[in-house]
Amino acid sequence: MSFDVRLRINDKVATIELTGELDASTAREFHDTVGQAAGAGAVELVIRAERLGYLSSAGLRSLVFARQKMGDEVRIAIVGASEPVARTIRLAGFDHSIDLVDA
Amino acid sequence: MTFDFEAAGAGRAAGVARPPGCGRANGLCVSATIDSLEPVSDFVLGLGKRARLPESSLYRFRLAADELATNIVLHGYRGEPGEIAVDGGIDPGDVWVRFQDDAPAFDPRQGMREPALDVPLAERQIGGLGVFLAFTAVDTFDYELVAGRNVSTLVMRRPAVE
Repeated sequence: MSFDVRLRINDKVATIELTGELDASTAREFHDTVGQAAGAGAVELVIRAERLGYLSSAGLRSLVFARQKMGDEVRIAIVGASEPVARTIRLAGFDHSIDLVDA
Repeated sequence: MTFDFEAAGAGRAAGVARPPGCGRANGLCVSATIDSLEPVSDFVLGLGKRARLPESSLYRFRLAADELATNIVLHGYRGEPGEIAVDGGIDPGDVWVRFQDDAPAFDPRQGMREPALDVPLAERQIGGLGVFLAFTAVDTFDYELVAGRNVSTLVMRRPAVE
């Protein structure tokens, strides 16, 4: 299954663009990218999820890692998640700590 | 890739605890590795589409199967070599997929943990989240230990025929 993750950082805002399916076989790549964003001293992390077709608990773990690594003061937002992806995030209760935007 | 599925009601009760489904027309047998998750998902998606599950049910059926298979690989076999037999079928009222493995006996539902919503995300214990997602995604999540073999079955109701 195809999966692509792209990171860009502008003015300390890290944007990660996800395409494809985020599961146990692709989560490592996302995890590493989250680590890069945190290491770069970003003050905000925006995850573009418009083209994310699938999210399993393996991907959710990386979101916990992002929250741990970046600290509470860093805003993390997931933009444009599809209905089933947003449902999974809400079901896990992650929407208390991560903003779901346009989902 | 195409799969043929057993006739309605023929398979779910029969065939439990027989050798892994390698070579069976209505299933597949995969090694217990992360790389096997993709063919398992493909199989379940194909089954769900043939059962004419609505898009949201199909997504949840696949999610549950993916989480269960991941659980067997990571927490069942724990990196040891092994196999997972997967088969499934379509009945008039529902569609089901069954996983059989020879990892140490373990009811995956026992590992389920509901998210601790009152605990900050950074402090969450997230073990058991995958099984929680699986359990809440499908209509039935059954487990049996049959002749020393773990047998888990996920069932999703099909919409009534118009």
